[in-house]
This record gives sequence, C-alpha cells and structure tokens, in this order.
Amino acid sequence: MRILILLFLLLSPVSGHAADAIALDSSVFVEREVPAAGGKTETVLEEPKVVIPGDRLVFILQYRNTGTQSAKDFVVTNPMPAPVAYQGTSDTVAQVSVDGGKTFAPLASLKVREADGAERAARPEDVTHVRWVLREPIAAGAQGKLSFRGIVR
Amino acid sequence: MLEGNFWAIKNVRLTLIAPLIVATASVSFAPRAEAAGTVAGSTIANTATANYTDSGGNAQTATSNTANLRVDELLDVAVTSADPGDIPTLPSGVNQVASFTVTNTGNGSEAYGLAVTTALGGDQFDPTTTSIVLDTNGNGVYDAGVDTVYAAGTNDPVLAPDASIRVFVLSTIPGTAVNGDRGQLSLAAASRTITGAPGASANGQGQGGGDAVVGTSGGDGSANGAYVVQAANISFTKTSSVVDPFGGSKIVPGSIVTYTLTATVGGSGSLSNVAIADNVPANTTYEAGTLTLQGAPVTDATDADAGVFVPPAGVVPGRIEVTLGAVAAGQTRTVTFNVRIN
Repeated sequence: MRILILLFLLLSPVSGHAADAIALDSSVFVEREVPAAGGKTETVLEEPKVVIPGDRLVFILQYRNTGTQSAKDFVVTNPMPAPVAYQGTSDTVAQVSVDGGKTFAPLASLKVREADGAERAARPEDVTHVRWVLREPIAAGAQGKLSFRGIVR
Repeated sequence: MLEGNFWAIKNVRLTLIAPLIVATASVSFAPRAEAAGTVAGSTIANTATANYTDSGGNAQTATSNTANLRVDELLDVAVTSADPGDIPTLPSGVNQVASFTVTNTGNGSEAYGLAVTTALGGDQFDPTTTSIVLDTNGNGVYDAGVDTVYAAGTNDPVLAPDASIRVFVLSTIPGTAVNGDRGQLSLAAASRTITGAPGASANGQGQGGGDAVVGTSGGDGSANGAYVVQAANISFTKTSSVVDPFGGSKIVPGSIVTYTLTATVGGSGSLSNVAIADNVPANTTYEAGTLTLQGAPVTDATDADAGVFVPPAGVVPGRIEVTLGAVAAGQTRTVTFNVRIN
C-alpha cells in the first residue's frame, strides 16, 4: 500500500487543478503446489523467494482511481518480460499481441510467421504484450485487479 | 499467499471487446532457445502502463512500479557415455580410454567435481583407474600429453549453461581377465555449489547473487561405461591338391598344384589389417588369373580388389598377396591359387 501512496504522489498533477489520477501497482507471485491435508496438494501463491526456470508466475496489476473524477477509455498494457513465457489469463477482456504490441487480438485468432515463411497459429510463448481494454469508465475511488500467468523460460 | 490483498473486481463491469484486427504480422520477438532456460542472475522486470482519458478529455498515462524478480541458479548436470558400446580391450591393457560427456543442464555457470567408481556389480573384473583426463583441446579424442589430467578441486571443469565437456577415464585391465570378461566403470559429476534433494537451496550461492537450487538431477549425475576383453586370435592352414597332365594326381612337370590358404579368426572381437601372403614355390610357375578369395576370382593386377600377384624378380620368388582388412571372430577367409610344376 505504501507503493500505491507513493505512486499517487508521483502521479498527481503538481498544479492541483485536475484531480484525475490512476494508481497502478505491479506485483508478481510464484504459484506452487504444496501438500495439503488428506494427501492432496493445493496451489498457493507465494511471495517469490527462489525462482528458477520452469516456475509458474502470476502477475497482478491493481489499479485505483485516486482522483475525484472518473477516467474513461481505460487501457492497461503489459509487455511480457523477456524471460517469461505467457501462460494465459482468466480476464475475458484481455487481448494479446505477438508482434511487439502493434496489433492485439485474442490469442486463438493470431498467427505468426516462422523464419521459413510458413504461417502457424500463435502459441502462448509467442505473446509479447498483454492488454486490457475496459469499456466502462473508472469512477473516482473505484479499483480493480488484472492478472495473467507466465512461466520462467 | 495472495488472499490477504485480493481486490474484488466489483466497481467495474468488464465487457468483452471484439477483436479489432486479426494480426498476421511476423514475430520479431525471439524467445530464448536454450534448454537450460533463463540464465541465473537475470532479472524478470514487469511494468504495466495505463492509458485513459481524464474528465477534461485529455489523454493520460500512468505507469506502474516495476516488479522485479531475480532468477536463481538451477543446479543440474547430465553425464553420458560417449563410447558406442563396450570398449574392446586386452588383459593387462594400460591407458584403456573410456569416454564420457558431462553437460551443464542448469542455468548458471557451474564447476563440477568428477569421480570414478569401478566396484560395480554385474561384471567380471574391476578396471583400475589411472587418471581422469579433460578434453582440453575439445576434439573429442584423447590426446596423451595434450589433454589435461584432472585433479579434483584443482581444475574442476567449469561449464556455462548448456555447455559440455568430454572426459576420458584411463584404466588398466587386470591380467587375470579372460576372453569375454566385462569390467564396468562409472563417472560421476557433482555440482561444486551443492548437491542434494531436488529443491534444496543454498542462500546467495547462485550465479548472479541469487540462490542456488538443486534441480531434478540432484545436482549430480553419472553414467556407466564398460570394457570387454576381446582376445581374438588367428590360425592359418595351407593345403594343396595336384592334377597331372594325364588326369591323375602325380607330381610331374606340367602338373597343376592348387594351394588353398585358410585364415580363421577365433576368440572374440575382431582382428584388423589381416593379410595373407604366400610365395610361389621354387620350380613352379604361377598360373596367371587363378587367384581367388572366398571362391570368387580376383585379378593379378594391383587394383581395387583385395588380391595381387607380385611377379618374381631375380632371386626373389613371385608371391600372391591378399588383404582382408578387419575380420571378426568366428569368420574364415579362404584364398586359392594355382602353380604349374616346371
């Protein structure tokens, strides 16, 4: 929360005129299988302490309108960190790009061209950017959470 | 656990946006291709940007903090035998070379300790390890005096992620080993940082300042090789038959003598560079074009086939020569030629 406040301070217009401000917080967790009662395993999100190739990560973006006016045409874009392969999202508004952020669409409709010129359906690891387009304005004080999964290459 | 700071999405209604463009552009993004994965010490930095329009109609941008993760070092190694099969050897053989490949399958540069074990079950003798040699010149072949002799803790091979090194184990074979005996050896490579159960970690000891984490290999690996005693031997026999000019088998001038030379390789394994040579006896003359190998004619000329007739020169008698190359144990080579009694 300290980070959010700090961001708010950084992002607030100096003039004090417009009070529109969006705070956006990025965090990452490691998804692990841990033993649970009854011999089962359960999936938990941990603060990353040790991260190795093959680990599954969950990236969380939390936004909040800290201003007094609503913000509209709200779009959040997250370039994939190079060492991470995209593994999907449960956010239905999310679209992805496989061309460095030039074009966005649901993954299933995207194609990539191989070095030999052959075209194939895009795979999760081809994703370069994730984008969320929210149609409704974000009212003053409103907040929300966006997330996607990745795996350490 | 995330439960504590889970923000419910209740203030916004999320609506599915129809795809605007179906992209068919080519990818400029090259994923890392190494099997070992992201190099230890790399940082995974994630930053997002929000674009929106404020109440005054102005486009605004908000950038998030950057969430950083450092990738830790995964300790993994694979050892394989580089010999195509059992290594043929002989009793009391010295400096018998067994070859192995050690590959760093982790994601950080790592030093490996090497050790050989020969007390293994299921074989007939234990080879004696005389040295472990690193293929310093990288040609994959043991070069005596060129490749470096390994000394544990002194010149442990350091391998980058995905890199491998050829390792030679030099052994002496016991003199008591007999034909067909096998003697196994095992080369083990162990990460110098730590080894142990997968998942075990050492704080701050990974490449790039992160932790070192034992991978599925346990941070160590080994592979077996084997020597097999292949004491091949060869025996020759020479027989003759005579046909005289009158249809009988008398040894008279003009009789034709057919010599049959048989080479038989016994034991196990094979012999290389086997050749048969025989002088034409005194007082006889080689009958041109009668040389055969395995029943098939071979020419007298020095050419691509295996046989040649070398004519007499002064006091040196003529002779036939047949090169047989490598002959495996259990096989026989038969050569015939005719001479005429003068």
